Amino acid sequence: MEHDNIYLTNLRDEKQNMWTGLANYFRKRSMWMLYYCTGCGAIELPPTMTSRYDMERLGMGPMATPRQADLLLITGYLSVKTLKRVIWSYEQMQEPKYVVGFGSCPINGGIYWDAYPVINHLEAFMPVDMSIAGCMPRPQAIIDAFEKLMDEIQQGKAVGYKRYRKHYDWYKRNQDLVLNRQSAVLTPYVDPFASMPTAAELMAQESEDSHV
Amino acid sequence: MYDHIFKRAQSLHGDKITCEKKHPQQLEIKTDRHYVMNLLSWLKTESYVHLAFISCIDWIEENQFELVYHVYSYEEKNHILVKTRLDRDRPWMHSIIDVWGHAQPYEQEIHEMFGVYFPGNPDLSGLFLHNWKDLPPMRKDFNPKDYSLALYSLKGMGHEALDMDFIQEITELEVE
Repeated sequence: MEHDNIYLTNLRDEKQNMWTGLANYFRKRSMWMLYYCTGCGAIELPPTMTSRYDMERLGMGPMATPRQADLLLITGYLSVKTLKRVIWSYEQMQEPKYVVGFGSCPINGGIYWDAYPVINHLEAFMPVDMSIAGCMPRPQAIIDAFEKLMDEIQQGKAVGYKRYRKHYDWYKRNQDLVLNRQSAVLTPYVDPFASMPTAAELMAQESEDSHV
Repeated sequence: MYDHIFKRAQSLHGDKITCEKKHPQQLEIKTDRHYVMNLLSWLKTESYVHLAFISCIDWIEENQFELVYHVYSYEEKNHILVKTRLDRDRPWMHSIIDVWGHAQPYEQEIHEMFGVYFPGNPDLSGLFLHNWKDLPPMRKDFNPKDYSLALYSLKGMGHEALDMDFIQEITELEVE
């Protein structure tokens, strides 16, 4: 269990020159976000986006499609079934792209750490540039995280997409381990009705068994 | 409130069922699984037209599954629970989609989550689980914690990629 809370956000700086610095300055001021609202964290986004906390003053706004978005928000727990769709969405996004994990579920499973359909560590499947702890984080925490992410983009530290490209085989192997598993994890299940018998056949068999 | 349905059930199906009032709004009827279809058809004619849902309970110590059909009457404004027990080693139950068509996804879900087989149901394919190869997960002998730790914890993901050297390499990634 000692490896369970390892947290892969610490990155080495990108080599900076004037042009990357300038590009990063503009990147950080115009982020379009795609929010993956299947988890409970989605409920914190309306106050963050609307007049009370007004995310747009940071230059951020919602975007409808992954191909035009820069920022992917994973708002809460991810089940195995949604993980597949998240990976599709993430791979469709154009670089540079950033991922923010909301709440404790993408970090270590949160309250679903022992649930069978929910993955525990998003970091193992896709690179996460910024995680917000809390269950759920309040809009202030979200704004704070976005500001930190903007700083990291300016400094060239938010390079999760490059990590994904370089270690694609590692991420793909982890994804395959969960999504395309070939064998049972604990006990293989053999369906006694795999041949799809009819009710009449089952009843005939039962009456035979009772005679024996 | 239940008096007339209680009396009629006793007089019509007396030797096949046992009735008990669980609550002012709930009547429980226990019966054999081969008799459930008759009973539900009769209840449907007695204004219990709404099948709210079907639930399944795993009585592992008695080695049985229990199916509970919740039916509701808009005229009487009360519920009847029809309960029946199945053998846990070979759990199967007649499909009731001829009485209520919308029972199809309920039975499909019970098949996926408990492994109860419903002959007569045209589609018992997987509904929610992705690439599931283990025991049906709502059974009591399935341990979700062990499953989660074995599959989703970094240690349990279980290959050399997760040792410290790799973590070191990935955090010291040289870019461009």
